[in-house]
Amino acid sequence: MATCTDPSPRSVVEALRGDRRRRPRTDRSCAPGLRSILEDGIFELPYDTVPATPLIVRASSLRQQSLSTDIALSAHARVRGILVNQVLRLLSVGALVTDPFDDALRAWRLEVGSGELLDFVDRLSGDDLARLATDVTAHAVTLTRSLGPVSPHWLARSAVRASVLLASGSVVLRDVVDLMVGTTVGEVASVALFDVTTSPLGEGAERTMRYHALVQTLRSGVVPLRTSSFSTATGEMWSLDVDAELLTRSTHEVLEALSAIARHA
Amino acid sequence: MTTFTLRRSTPRDLNELVVGAPGTLVALTDDHRRSLSARFRAVISNDHRRLDAWSVERAGQPSSSFRWSPATARRLLGNAALRRVVRDALVAPTEAVADEIDDQLLRCASGYARSGSLASWLASLSASEVALVCAEATNWAVQVLEIAQGLQVEWRVATSDAYYDVARARTSLRARRDLDVPLGEGRVVLRVRSGSPGKSAGPGLRSDLTIDTLANPKGIAPRRFIGVWPDAGVALSVDGTMADLRAGARDLVRTAVVQERRHHQMAA
Repeated sequence: MATCTDPSPRSVVEALRGDRRRRPRTDRSCAPGLRSILEDGIFELPYDTVPATPLIVRASSLRQQSLSTDIALSAHARVRGILVNQVLRLLSVGALVTDPFDDALRAWRLEVGSGELLDFVDRLSGDDLARLATDVTAHAVTLTRSLGPVSPHWLARSAVRASVLLASGSVVLRDVVDLMVGTTVGEVASVALFDVTTSPLGEGAERTMRYHALVQTLRSGVVPLRTSSFSTATGEMWSLDVDAELLTRSTHEVLEALSAIARHA
Repeated sequence: MTTFTLRRSTPRDLNELVVGAPGTLVALTDDHRRSLSARFRAVISNDHRRLDAWSVERAGQPSSSFRWSPATARRLLGNAALRRVVRDALVAPTEAVADEIDDQLLRCASGYARSGSLASWLASLSASEVALVCAEATNWAVQVLEIAQGLQVEWRVATSDAYYDVARARTSLRARRDLDVPLGEGRVVLRVRSGSPGKSAGPGLRSDLTIDTLANPKGIAPRRFIGVWPDAGVALSVDGTMADLRAGARDLVRTAVVQERRHHQMAA
């Protein structure tokens, strides 16, 4: 008797790249319109006075709608997130990660030198450090198994920073995309944005995905092909094809976040 | 009058900036060099002075001592990798960066690397740390490659930064440059920078223009010097006019003066 099984699921990277034949043409016309929506929206914000320092919007500003305490913001969770991201960076250049915790910690130390969160790690007791190492290793294993090989020809770059100034610099949209593949040069859209989170995916992750796409569009003038988020907690991946509607929705979310930031400034 | 132009850093805008560079070529003569040397000599310094756009932008404030890190190594490795990519289009930036790192490690293993050099620093790192350096340098190489590939004119990766030693003034000037675009008789220079431009980005760029011109054997200024901030998606350019060259030289001398004042204040 012959047994037919479903084909094994594609890797995250393959899902990111998608079917090359179905990619749309590069959209270079959206960015000015989105910028106008944001500029007009910022102008209509109810400021009492012009802020002395720029109002800064980050992906985290959209992830958390209210100013509630989030368990994902604990030092342990933040360190775990940073270390899993370091693992992603190492994997993106084809490095062999044998001890995820140790490798990621070394890489992180080299990158930042010193800091509050590194001090937190250094102060952990043996048991707590072992707990953190196990936690990071578990998340890193999920990531490594799901990611798949990243071809060097896909121009993968990690921890890509962006800082878009609006309203003459009184508002700054800051962002860091964990992994970006593809190029903005070319007639067919190929840029895919990939975000890794150690929390389960939720509504906040969806807003973050849209935010990444918006900031990348404003920064480069080119609409990305898709934006994705992967949870190392659940192994789940969400992916959205980027279009004008998604970007416009993100502009409204940014304006809402700005309004909240301005109220608390 | 200074000729700053602020644009987005899209391929279309960058092409307009490159192609629209002024056609007139301006050159610095020996008299200009002598005059600059005299101004620097007037600012007496006990130590050898090193000035660049960064020191101009920071108004002569002392910066922390240099140490190798993924951030400081990425440009050197990234641009070297890019030269490999240009030589062999089948090589991907990540592979080129890895090859460049391997060459550096080989240099160290064969005893050609000085202590404190990039090669000896890389040799002191673990495999995961080297991989992070590779990731940073790849980011740099890909972003410069994207900018270059968007240009509709011939380009090349700059072979080195521009250095100029001011005669008898114990002063070295350095201008960073990443892409050279030959344009008719002249050239346009592009410099890629991280982050977003600050309020003093213009004077910094102008001093880069002046130093690049001084380092040119014939003293010919680039037709335009363009700073590109891909993180912010903006580009700022300054034209190679005599007014801008003079302003750039003034900024450098002013920075030297401020630095010396600070040294005196700290010593007092």
